[in-house]
Amino acid sequence: MDEPRTTMDVRQAGGLTALIDIRGDVTAASEPMLMSAYEEADRQGARRLVLNFGGLDYMNSGGIGMLVTLLVRANRHHQELAAFGLSRHYREIFELTRLDEAITIYDNEQSAMADSGS
Amino acid sequence: MSSIARPAPRRLTSFALASLPGNERVALARVAESVAGLGLPAARLDKLKTAVAEATMNAMEHGNRNRSELAVDIEVFQSGAEIIVTISDRGGLNDAGRPEDNAEVPDLVRKLNGEQGPRGWGLFLIRHMVDAVDVTTEGERHTVRLTLRTG
Repeated sequence: MDEPRTTMDVRQAGGLTALIDIRGDVTAASEPMLMSAYEEADRQGARRLVLNFGGLDYMNSGGIGMLVTLLVRANRHHQELAAFGLSRHYREIFELTRLDEAITIYDNEQSAMADSGS
Repeated sequence: MSSIARPAPRRLTSFALASLPGNERVALARVAESVAGLGLPAARLDKLKTAVAEATMNAMEHGNRNRSELAVDIEVFQSGAEIIVTISDRGGLNDAGRPEDNAEVPDLVRKLNGEQGPRGWGLFLIRHMVDAVDVTTEGERHTVRLTLRTG
């Protein structure tokens, strides 16, 4: 049960925006993948990172902790975080944890990209 | 003096899982399967699944200290308009360091400022997902009881 169920692929989304497509699980075990995706986006000079949760199967408290770690890193580099594709349940969890106050949530990729000016 | 008799809780399922990373996914799937016929709205089923997964992880990590030979026992009951899930580990004699002993509520701003560690969201999530959380310890058996109203 411990094998990674997750992929995180970085797409250049135009301008200084990078999009990270998340598929599978977001747990503490997926931290190396997310940090690797973040570093790739950072190397590409991204100032805005957009997380696509459309392929998310499962997220737990460890995954929330990992997103907090990502936020700390992004804040340190003056980068903005946004997200779309969250189910109603996980959107509610973002609200409970107040992650939605630090990560701008959009309904879909179009609206997330429109806000980045690309 | 009269009293209204409540029907005895009906056990829907009972199973044990080894304390292995990822087994919380098995727990949430089996609990969801056991309540499938109760007409639970999808949003409440999602909450139950998250609470069960988090409580099972806590039982494996903090109760059984990730010792795979120690089982987590899970039982699901229906009692009137309530679903009750009990999750028991074997760490009752060594309860120091349980998440429920830590009174500090996770605070995102404090976490972002480095005043709290990034983790520590499990019990917070459990408490927000279900209608009641009760904890009991009898000898080595430590049990978290989750109650969720069906409507």
